[in-house]
Amino acid sequence: MTPPVPIRRRVITLFGAGSMALTLAACGGGSLGGEEGGAEGGGDGGGTVRVGLVIPQAGVYTPLGEDMQQGWDLWLDQNDGMMGDFDVETVIADEGEGPDTGVPAVQRLLTEDSVDALVGIVNSATALGVAEQVTEAEVPLIVANAGAEAITKDAASPYVWRSSFTNAQIAAAMGTHLAEEGIGPVYVMAPDYAAGQEVVAGFTEAYEAGGGTIAGQALTPFGTTQDFQPFLSGVQSSGAAATFVFYAGGEAVSYVQQYDEFGLKDSIPLYGSGFLTEGSVLDAQGESAVGVRTTLHYSTEIDNEANAEFVEAYQAAYDELPTTYAVQAYDAANVLGRALAEAGDVSGSAITEALDGLGEIDDSPRGPWSFTNQTPEQSIYLREVADEGGTLLNTVVEDLGVQPQP
Amino acid sequence: MLGWFDANLVSILNGFAIGSLLFILAVGLSIVFGMMDVLNLAHGAFFLIGSYLAVTFVAGESWGGFLTALGVAALIGLLAGGALSGLTEPLARRPILDQALLTLGISLIVAEVLSIIYGNDVFSVPPPPGLAESIDVAGRAYPAYRLMLIAVGLVLALVVWLVVEKTSIGALVRASVADREMVSAMGVDNRKVKFAVLGVGSLLATVAGVLAAPVYGARPGLDETILLLALVVIVIGGRGSVRGALVGALVIGQVESLGRALVPDLASFILFGTLALVLIVRPRGLFAGKVAHS
Repeated sequence: MTPPVPIRRRVITLFGAGSMALTLAACGGGSLGGEEGGAEGGGDGGGTVRVGLVIPQAGVYTPLGEDMQQGWDLWLDQNDGMMGDFDVETVIADEGEGPDTGVPAVQRLLTEDSVDALVGIVNSATALGVAEQVTEAEVPLIVANAGAEAITKDAASPYVWRSSFTNAQIAAAMGTHLAEEGIGPVYVMAPDYAAGQEVVAGFTEAYEAGGGTIAGQALTPFGTTQDFQPFLSGVQSSGAAATFVFYAGGEAVSYVQQYDEFGLKDSIPLYGSGFLTEGSVLDAQGESAVGVRTTLHYSTEIDNEANAEFVEAYQAAYDELPTTYAVQAYDAANVLGRALAEAGDVSGSAITEALDGLGEIDDSPRGPWSFTNQTPEQSIYLREVADEGGTLLNTVVEDLGVQPQP
Repeated sequence: MLGWFDANLVSILNGFAIGSLLFILAVGLSIVFGMMDVLNLAHGAFFLIGSYLAVTFVAGESWGGFLTALGVAALIGLLAGGALSGLTEPLARRPILDQALLTLGISLIVAEVLSIIYGNDVFSVPPPPGLAESIDVAGRAYPAYRLMLIAVGLVLALVVWLVVEKTSIGALVRASVADREMVSAMGVDNRKVKFAVLGVGSLLATVAGVLAAPVYGARPGLDETILLLALVVIVIGGRGSVRGALVGALVIGQVESLGRALVPDLASFILFGTLALVLIVRPRGLFAGKVAHS
């Protein structure tokens, strides 16, 4: 009976001390820190802007976090570490996998580090979980990945902006395109969680609106599906003419390889949301991925001057091809930089006002885009995986045109 | 009936392949748990070591690389199991939960070290030459490598069963389970028995990792998913029984394959539904083995 008592006491002590520290920090951040930052910024137009970069440094999303940090760092390097007249001080926080780690990380940045702006966030649940906090603290947040529609729609806040995409925006572009092609009945698959459901809904709505029919759909258990064979036999017996899927990470690798191994690739062409073949998963998929067509708002192969320069600079700096995650962080830096140059002030209201007035962002690697309802209205590209001299690339087949948030 | 069978033949076959893989994975855990009373939660992490070894050695498609990976994995598994046996020795008289916590800690450390060495990217491993193609089964393509897994699983099941039931080594292991004091009174150091059983059990985990690599690849987090499946197999089959591990693995293989194909809407629930059903009907598993006295 002896061990439990000291342990419990220790936990209570820890908890007590912890919450006290938090309270103190909250006071410091709210009153002193905030005013100090504002005074610095407003005074002579120079000074420092402190930006919290919230990216996953542990867990399954870590590769995305690395790409985002590289995109962010590259923009700062190219701009001498300055946004407008402000020196940028980046404070990095680990988002982890979900809101249980991401929300406290943002909380710490707001209170202990008293940041002037926040950039990052991969997970939609985390983004939705911190919306209230950043609004209360009046600190602008530029979401650089999370694609849930609600972030800039149902749960919209004047302080939450997005430089990435919405799940349905990408899927709907493919739905419209396939309906125009008249490809026939399509089988739809995605993992059974919020993003998967949004993709399925977005695609189905656009495809049916264009006159297409759905052959069937399957939502697979998220994170616990290693073997897709049982679901693939459902695709085969449905009589589908094509398959449209949304998978990312390890599931994307398994899916694309098994789609090939079980002989579906040759008879029922595979289409997907761009994350199916984006970044490091493409190398792991290997030859199985060649010929897979996806839609996304970026590809290294987009033919414009800004992208050519970006890809070259990124390769020179990191010796690898950039991903859409890197571009989203790069563009987040770009719009924050433009807003700070415009505002000349680091207060939340000044930054958001400036973001609102930015108009078209004309020097992005993804091509021109602009904020509509605080999320990008941008071109979506139809891409096809090709093997070019041993390197797998997402070649651009067609620009499907500008797509707003559905 | 014949039509139904025809339509689902690939799923049934796939159930056997996944079942074989699960057997190789779970039998080591079951033996260690049932016979030595050590719940080794590092089993999944040892499996992941095997998968990453396959990533290292199977560059391009070659039998040489694949067999090297198997050999190295077997050696590392043996050593890791031996080390684990030494680490759990001071806790031998403590409740089983204390040992489980120790092995859980070890699994977290192993997973973190793997993530430092290999990064957090997802890797895939090609099957050895000749097994990379798909074979025509009832008009549908089926990967040849998975057919080989069925054969390997059945052979291994036979070998493990023969060793435990028919050899003097197996007899010694079963004896030290039944009455540790008596065995040590006869001059046998039962720490050596534990060392050997844990070594072989962990060896099976790392070898399963290599064998599974062409199917599951290697990625952070795979260890936990795999450990959970192995635990379900043991609960269903009954711990400490080779026959139970085989039946449990084949049942789960079919549930995960044929079950998901028949009722895709219930895919998330069907595994644990089966588990719950077995627990209600046979709380100690279908084939509960002899359990060590503690």
